[in-house]
Amino acid sequence: MKRCFLPLLVLSSLLLPMHQGWAGTRPRYGGTARTLVQHKVTSLDPLADTDYAEDRNRLASLLFETLTEIDAQGRLRPRLAVSWQPEPGSRVWRFQIRPASLNDGSVLTASVVGASLKAASPEWRIVVNGKQAISIETPSPVPHLPELLSLPRFAIVKRLADGTMIGTGPFKLSEWQPGERALFAANEEYWGGRPYLDAMEVRMGLSLREHLIEHQLGADHAAEPTIDQLHTLEQAGQSVALSRPSDLLVVIFPPPPPNGWGEPAVGSGAVSTQRIGRDAKGIHPKLREAVASAINRFAISNVLLQKRSRPAGALLPQWLTGYEFAFPLDPNPDQARRLRTEAGAPATIRLAYDYSDTVAKMVAERIAVDAREAGINLQPFGDPHVTSKSGRKSLNADAVLLRIPLQSIEPYSALAGLALANDLELSSETTASILDAVRPEDLFEAERKAIADYRLIPVAHVSEALWLNTTIHNWQQLPNGGWKLDQLWVEAGR
Amino acid sequence: MRRPLAQFLSCLIVPLLLIAGAAAQQEPQGAWSSVAGEFVQQILSISGSPSAVAVNFENLSSLSSSDVDLAKKAVLERFRGTGVRVVRADAAIAEVHITFSEDWRDYLWVANIRQGPSSQVVMRKVPHQQKLAAARTPTLTIKKTALWQQDNPILDFYADSQNLYVLEPEQLSLYGNDAGRWRLHQTLAITHEQPWPRDLRGKLQVSGLQVTAYLPGTMCKGTAMPPAMDCRSSDDPWVIQKSGQGTVEQATVEPRTNGQGTLVGFFSPARNFFTGVLAGMNAASVPPFFSAAAIEIGGAHQWVFAGTDGRARLYLTDLSLPAAIFNDWGSSVAAVQSGCGSGSQVLVTAPGDLTHADTLQAVEFQNQDAMPASATADVSGPIVALWPGDNSPSVRGVVESIATGKYEALLFTIACTQ
Repeated sequence: MKRCFLPLLVLSSLLLPMHQGWAGTRPRYGGTARTLVQHKVTSLDPLADTDYAEDRNRLASLLFETLTEIDAQGRLRPRLAVSWQPEPGSRVWRFQIRPASLNDGSVLTASVVGASLKAASPEWRIVVNGKQAISIETPSPVPHLPELLSLPRFAIVKRLADGTMIGTGPFKLSEWQPGERALFAANEEYWGGRPYLDAMEVRMGLSLREHLIEHQLGADHAAEPTIDQLHTLEQAGQSVALSRPSDLLVVIFPPPPPNGWGEPAVGSGAVSTQRIGRDAKGIHPKLREAVASAINRFAISNVLLQKRSRPAGALLPQWLTGYEFAFPLDPNPDQARRLRTEAGAPATIRLAYDYSDTVAKMVAERIAVDAREAGINLQPFGDPHVTSKSGRKSLNADAVLLRIPLQSIEPYSALAGLALANDLELSSETTASILDAVRPEDLFEAERKAIADYRLIPVAHVSEALWLNTTIHNWQQLPNGGWKLDQLWVEAGR
Repeated sequence: MRRPLAQFLSCLIVPLLLIAGAAAQQEPQGAWSSVAGEFVQQILSISGSPSAVAVNFENLSSLSSSDVDLAKKAVLERFRGTGVRVVRADAAIAEVHITFSEDWRDYLWVANIRQGPSSQVVMRKVPHQQKLAAARTPTLTIKKTALWQQDNPILDFYADSQNLYVLEPEQLSLYGNDAGRWRLHQTLAITHEQPWPRDLRGKLQVSGLQVTAYLPGTMCKGTAMPPAMDCRSSDDPWVIQKSGQGTVEQATVEPRTNGQGTLVGFFSPARNFFTGVLAGMNAASVPPFFSAAAIEIGGAHQWVFAGTDGRARLYLTDLSLPAAIFNDWGSSVAAVQSGCGSGSQVLVTAPGDLTHADTLQAVEFQNQDAMPASATADVSGPIVALWPGDNSPSVRGVVESIATGKYEALLFTIACTQ
């Protein structure tokens, strides 16, 4: 399949319109930006358990806004909240809401904000103080609550009885075909000023290759190539922007149910061999540690992923925290073999990965090779349902290899985002220690605890790629690969 | 009338001195010593102040080797200064491994303290030092003088030796010179009935104590002393550039045509551009534009308009037909009367967008050709505002720094170096 890709791409690049060189720094009003996103987004609800939540969040951010935001320099900024202050102890925070209109023309009130936050975090006590102020009381102190509220899950959504969701964002949803296409129209009344664009069209689930076959990239302004497509794109003279290595590629051994996995059924012959290396809590801790020791992260990042990633020893990358270096990275096959022996006879570990993610497939297969050298039989298999929590519940796997995008470029909210999304299935104690963190040492300690029992094995931090047409401007790719599109504009045809 | 040279130089040099003073205050004199002191205190506090420690270092950051040496020295001096002996590992009660690391914004100093079987970690963030951009040495040189920087957007500013006025989206901030530092004296609210458009633009015009702020669909007038400002909805045209040096009377009158060197244009009330309709000038109009410059050389007038279609148009003698079109300029142009070269130049930004650092170049026109008159000058981010100075030898610019996200108020002048 790939053999025919290069000539196709070269041909298509020749067909791209010649860039005339747009003179100007100032944005131009008008036009439609056309974007391809990799995955099929089926819901725009920031709270929905959905596959590929990152693409969902990108689209939802056009419609819904958070009280605060982290800017491109990593600083906390006001958004729908104009100011905030904690009471002593940081359990109660007061927020002042800015005057803004919802997309249905109604006024954003503190009641709407309160109801939205309550849906996102039912354990919070929210008190509405007049029309434009709320206070949030958390069960335990959350010193970085303003940073936390910049996460997509805390976007302010007014939910109508018929399921309609309304936001304050710079765009309104004008057409919605779940998993296929979305058309966003400029919100003329946006409090931050009408967007430059008249509209933004998003088409979903089309791979770059398929799209090249069917449409030609020249008609589009932006697309998400996968890491394995970069070499081909670069050979074809296309310009691709890479984020810092951010997406966490991690092996997750799910925690056991509250009462353990249960005893094997009597008389089931196959069970006795499958039980080796497992106990009521799942895969034996020493076997998990053996897998962690066996993985050659450097080979995965430097060779397999062609340095478009960095070996990961912790959940957050070095560039974000500055302390990841303190977590071990080097493979230790001897220790892996010893641990495997101590865990008992070798078990078969079934490792599921997202069947549509070529990077995950390559990495899972490489992990299997490393594990085999340590005497561990690890069998990777692709599955279409690993990317949602509900899909993973029905999965017949001992572990999953997940690729989890960083939701923030501020360390505290990035780690809190990982914890609250619950893909990592952290213990409530660990989540609490993250929310309670104040200093870098606290985050470091929370990360150390999170991976101490080897239920989570960080493998790599992977860059996100973005292809941009030269006729689109001010598309800010954040260091974590996130998109900041509020200043976006496109050139007019001449 | 030209202002006396001494008066002009005082306007220019005093702010320069203020900046130099501010820079000196920001100079990290003994910065490592201070950081090291607090860091060592944290280490001793968490480790119970052992009497003898072994200390070793590792650098994973972009710190230069000389800075690393200074930092190491500062840390060791601080240990010794607190009465702790720094010894070999086999004689130490605690081993301290210090790593100079960094994240994408700051340095991070990490100490791993081992005492017997236990280990503890101490971290301290240290801000990255700002680096000054290197200067260039071309034939004509664009000099830039940094006057001020802040987190909030700057639309325009005015500065003389005693006053700095900063026009922001919601207020006008009045600063005074207080022993070489700008100190905030007063803020005057900018009221407006409609939400501001994106890419908000504004222009400040100061004459004596009188202040006029042009904003889309809004005009504010007031005085710096006593501080007062009154804003109202207005479609009045903006004075883009005044003729000659401008007198008090010229600067304070309602916008009008004061000769062909003056440019007065209508600004779209809900967008980021001039509509193209010019006040006076026989009701002339040009395609919508972002910025404009008018220069006069040997009695001949030249106008340049940076259009919203990405093209800059040069007009000679009249505005009926462009004499030349330039496709590779940015959207900001401003005239500067330098006295160098042909006497007047137009400063031109580079094409790009808000994600790229801008450059600025002076050009002169020979017939229909634009000739570079200076090398390009780099700035730290996109130039988001560029207005001719009330004194033509300077141009006011606002840059949004890509590195810091701050807005920087800069004065650009031309130096006649060969």
